[in-house]
Amino acid sequence: MKRVVISGVGAVSAMGNDVSSLVKGIEEKKSAVHYMEGWDQYTGLRSLVGAPAKLINEKAIPRKNRRSMGRMSIFALQATEQALADAGIKHEELTSGRIGCIIGSTMGSAESLNEVFEIMLPQKDLTKLPSMKFFQCVSHTAAMNVSQCLGITGCVIATSAACASALQAINVGYDLIRLGKQDAVACGGAEELHPTVTGSFDVLFATSANYNDKPHKTPRPFDRDRDGLVCGEGSGILVIEEYERALRRNAKIYAEIIGYHTCGSGVHVSQPDKNSIALCLREALASANVSPKEVDYINAHATATIQGDREEAKAIKEVLGDSMPVSSLKGYIGHTLGASGSLELIVSLAMMEKGIIYPTLNLDNVSPDCQGINHVMEAVSKDISIMVKNCFAFGGINSVLVCKKL
Amino acid sequence: MKHEITENEIITMTNQVFEESFEIETEKLQPKMNIFEDLGLDSLDIVDLIVALQQKFGVKIRNDERVREIRTLEDIYRFILSLKNEEH
Repeated sequence: MKRVVISGVGAVSAMGNDVSSLVKGIEEKKSAVHYMEGWDQYTGLRSLVGAPAKLINEKAIPRKNRRSMGRMSIFALQATEQALADAGIKHEELTSGRIGCIIGSTMGSAESLNEVFEIMLPQKDLTKLPSMKFFQCVSHTAAMNVSQCLGITGCVIATSAACASALQAINVGYDLIRLGKQDAVACGGAEELHPTVTGSFDVLFATSANYNDKPHKTPRPFDRDRDGLVCGEGSGILVIEEYERALRRNAKIYAEIIGYHTCGSGVHVSQPDKNSIALCLREALASANVSPKEVDYINAHATATIQGDREEAKAIKEVLGDSMPVSSLKGYIGHTLGASGSLELIVSLAMMEKGIIYPTLNLDNVSPDCQGINHVMEAVSKDISIMVKNCFAFGGINSVLVCKKL
Repeated sequence: MKHEITENEIITMTNQVFEESFEIETEKLQPKMNIFEDLGLDSLDIVDLIVALQQKFGVKIRNDERVREIRTLEDIYRFILSLKNEEH
C-alpha cells in the first residue's frame, strides 16, 4: 500500500473566502453566526440563525461553467482552486487522468431546488424550467462542476452521507491513492445554507431556537445550555497525494493520513448511538495502528444537539479516556454539514502546524451529560503528533479519520 | 386597444434575452450574427433561449419545428414577427 499525505488546502466559509481568514477568525474566537433576515416569513421555522458565506468573484468563472453551478458548486470550485494552488499542482496535470476529484454534500444546491419548486409547482408547469436546474440540483453537482470546470479527468466521485460526506470523500480518495489508482485527489465537501435546510433539522427539533436574539451565543457544543445545531455553509477541499510524489515535488506536507473507519449504526436514523461511535473510533485507530494513548487531540463532531454531544462524549471517554484534549469548531462557523469534515480538518491541520488547540466556542459550563472528557475551553499550547477527526451523520453514518504529523 | 408589437421592439427584446441570459455584449448583437458560431451558444443554451423567448413574448415555441432552422439573430427576429402576425 502506498502512503498518502495532505499537500494542499482550500476553504470558503462564513469566516471568509480563504483558509487564512478561517483560521484567523477562529484564533480570535469570533463567531460567524448571524440572525438571518427574512427567515421569519417561514411559518413554523423556530431557528432564525445561520452562518452564511459570501459569494464573491463568481463572475470570474466562465459563463458556460458557471451556468450549471449553484452556490455550493461555486464555493467548491473556489476552494479547490485554492487547494490546488497551495499544493503547487498545475492545470496541465489535471488532464492526466491520475488526479481525481471527490466532493461530497448532503444534496444538490438547496437554492436551486427551491427555484425549481417555485417555477414548476404553482401551475404544475415544466415549460418554464431552465436547462441548468438539473445540473445544479443533482447530488454530484459539486464534484461534477469542479471537475468539468478544471478539466479533471481522473476519478470523479460524489459522496453523499449528509454530515459525514466530506470525510467519506477523503476516505475514498485515500483508498484510491493507497491502491495506486490515482496519484492525487482534490477531495472534501460543500454545502449551502438555506431556510429549507435549517427547516429540515428544525422540524426534528435538532436546531438552536433559543438564541435568535443573541446569535453569537449559539451553537454551544457540550454546554449545559446547548439547544441544537446552527447551519452554516461553504466548502473545504484538501489535496491528498501519494507520499513519494509529494516528496519528489518538494511539496509542503501538512500531515499523513494514516487510517480511517466509516460504519453504520444499524440502530436509528436520527438517534446517535454511543456504541457505534465507539466502534468507529476503535476501528479507525486500529486501521492507523495507533493506540488511544498516542492520540494528542480529537476534533469532535459535536454540533450542540442534546443527544449527539452526549453520545459522542461518552464514546470518546470510553475509547480515548478522560485526559485527551477534545474541542469542537461548530461554535465558530456553525454546522457546515457536508463540508464540516473537511473545513474542520483544515483548521485542525492549522492547530497541528501551530502547536495550539483552539477551544470550543460557547462552552461555558460543561453539561453534566458531557463530562468525563478533557474539554478544551481556552486555547492551549500542545504538540499535536496524532489527531483524530470525527463526523457523524443523520442516517446513523459515522466516519473517523486519523492523521499524523510528519 | 391592444398594443401591436413593432419590429424594433422585437429586436430590442430579443437582444435583451441575449444580454441577460447569455451575458453577450450589446455590440456583438448584430442581425447577421450566427448564434452558435459567432455568439457561442450550445444545445443547452437553446433550451434556455426557448424558455426566455416564450416568457418575453408570451408565445409557445417549444414544439415548433421552425426553431430548428434558426441560425442567426435575424432568424429569431423574423420568427417572432411571424408568430405575432399569426396571432392576428
